[in-house]
Amino acid sequence: MAIFEWEEVKIDVDEDGFMEEPDQWNERVALALASTEGVAELSEEHWHLVNYLRDYYQKFGIAPMIRKLCKETGFPLKKVYELFPSGPAKGACKVAGLAKPTGCV
Amino acid sequence: MELKITEEGLKKALKSARKPEVTAKQKLPVRYHVEDFKVEGRTRAFLEAFAAILKHSNYKFVLDHYIRISAKCSRCTTNCQIYEVTGDEHDIPCYRSELLLSIYRRHFTVAGQMSGRLFGDPGLTDEHLQELAASVWNCTACRRCVNECPMGIDHGLVTHLARYVLSEIGIAPRALVVSTREQLIGDSGNTSAIPVPALLDTLEFLEEDMEEEKGVKIKFPINVEGAEYLFVPAVSDFLMEAETLMGNAAVMTATGGSWTIGTGYFDGINYGLFYSDHVLEKAVQKILAEAERLKVKKIMIGECGHASRSAKYFYPAFCGGKDALPIINCMEYAYDMLKAGKLKLDPNVIKERVTYHDPCNIARPGWIVQQPRELIRAFCKDFVEMTPNGRQGVCCGGGGGTVSIDEIMPYRMEIGGKYKAKQIVDTGAHYVIAPCANCKKQIREIIDYHKLDAELVGLHDLIYKAIIFD
Repeated sequence: MAIFEWEEVKIDVDEDGFMEEPDQWNERVALALASTEGVAELSEEHWHLVNYLRDYYQKFGIAPMIRKLCKETGFPLKKVYELFPSGPAKGACKVAGLAKPTGCV
Repeated sequence: MELKITEEGLKKALKSARKPEVTAKQKLPVRYHVEDFKVEGRTRAFLEAFAAILKHSNYKFVLDHYIRISAKCSRCTTNCQIYEVTGDEHDIPCYRSELLLSIYRRHFTVAGQMSGRLFGDPGLTDEHLQELAASVWNCTACRRCVNECPMGIDHGLVTHLARYVLSEIGIAPRALVVSTREQLIGDSGNTSAIPVPALLDTLEFLEEDMEEEKGVKIKFPINVEGAEYLFVPAVSDFLMEAETLMGNAAVMTATGGSWTIGTGYFDGINYGLFYSDHVLEKAVQKILAEAERLKVKKIMIGECGHASRSAKYFYPAFCGGKDALPIINCMEYAYDMLKAGKLKLDPNVIKERVTYHDPCNIARPGWIVQQPRELIRAFCKDFVEMTPNGRQGVCCGGGGGTVSIDEIMPYRMEIGGKYKAKQIVDTGAHYVIAPCANCKKQIREIIDYHKLDAELVGLHDLIYKAIIFD
């Protein structure tokens, strides 16, 4: 476990930079995590995606299926990769404060 | 595409994502993350774990045989997709096996113990242990070298055993250990930590999509007691492979199959196959328990190579014996239905060129080689084989659990998956069919990393596009 600091934000992260305590997430934390993903600013589209992931996660305790993510946000997968270059699982989920996906994901 | 790696590529591939202070603390120069373990006295602990495993398993007679016949002739190099890229002697399969066999010879045979005392051989050193720990996770356990070994040594088995002993003293990739822990003692009980409500939400979503696209009601039957088949895919399919699952459901619906998904256990993944016989046994027992709960007649594994092999071969070995329920892969079912005339596919839907990647775990034993090809030929006009293929097929480069270790991705791209990238380019195919959750993830990354003009799909993804409902 390591501590990640960005401006005033200070959070526990794992070796890959995912949050250890997803409950500590807030919008400033999202900005901090985005900076590690090469995303300097979060546009309205970024927030749309992040908020959807966040809501789904709070309801079900896991990220949604990728097809569902694309359909419900209206973003094709290509667009998700444009927004978060490391993709939905490693990029978008990380910024939304979800824990690192496990298994063959 | 040139197979041989460049100096720049090698630099990228071997770069470690581990923090130097962790490597120093654990005294372990490997590229995968390892949870903290007892560093002091670990050579002794390794030997004790090895002794215990030998006492309670059948490995001893295999090793006694291997240490006598191993000729170290290196013919296996011609069948190793890692060695073909690096040309490094440390990547020769029989060199890797010798790392473990030499420990066995020195410590577990009378001759080894005698000569050790006579000539002052200090026995297993920490440096040797470090080399073993690094080496066994460079191998993808694809067992292609078995084809070429004139003595018939299964280097994949030796690698598995070395990983098993190492895991007993706490040295195993964290990615696999964490997933396995969630599967065996976690709340969700599966490797991707999917809670049941999320599973049900996903399946409902897919049912709606299928009705929209096909105009037919296609269900995922849940907890149906007495169904013929318990369907167990790699659990990651519920997050990643919508089209594959829709293909599975479409085939079952079109052919009138009796099947069910159990909410008690729905994960075919078994990382025990890669690093621990304990885990292997416990994970297959979970499938058995669910099959008994729902009183099904057979078990059907989804598109996943290692899930199929671990269930097919180790479920009878560990907990079924000759009374074990029959286990099939979903492609066998689709093939049987095609032959019976119950599965109808439109030959005018898939116009692009397709190629087929053989997942090592189902193709190497010759179990599933012909069935998917006949299915493909039934509806794809332009089917091109990779060379070599079938039982001789080349690993995607993410086998043996390595695909789940994200931090070694550059190694999997520059070295492990280079041969597969070349094969894909050479076929000129648009669709690369890989009916395996491991291979799918790896080949998607290969296509992206090497900027290939191809699309990765599962076999059932294409069947879903072409299936005809009466």
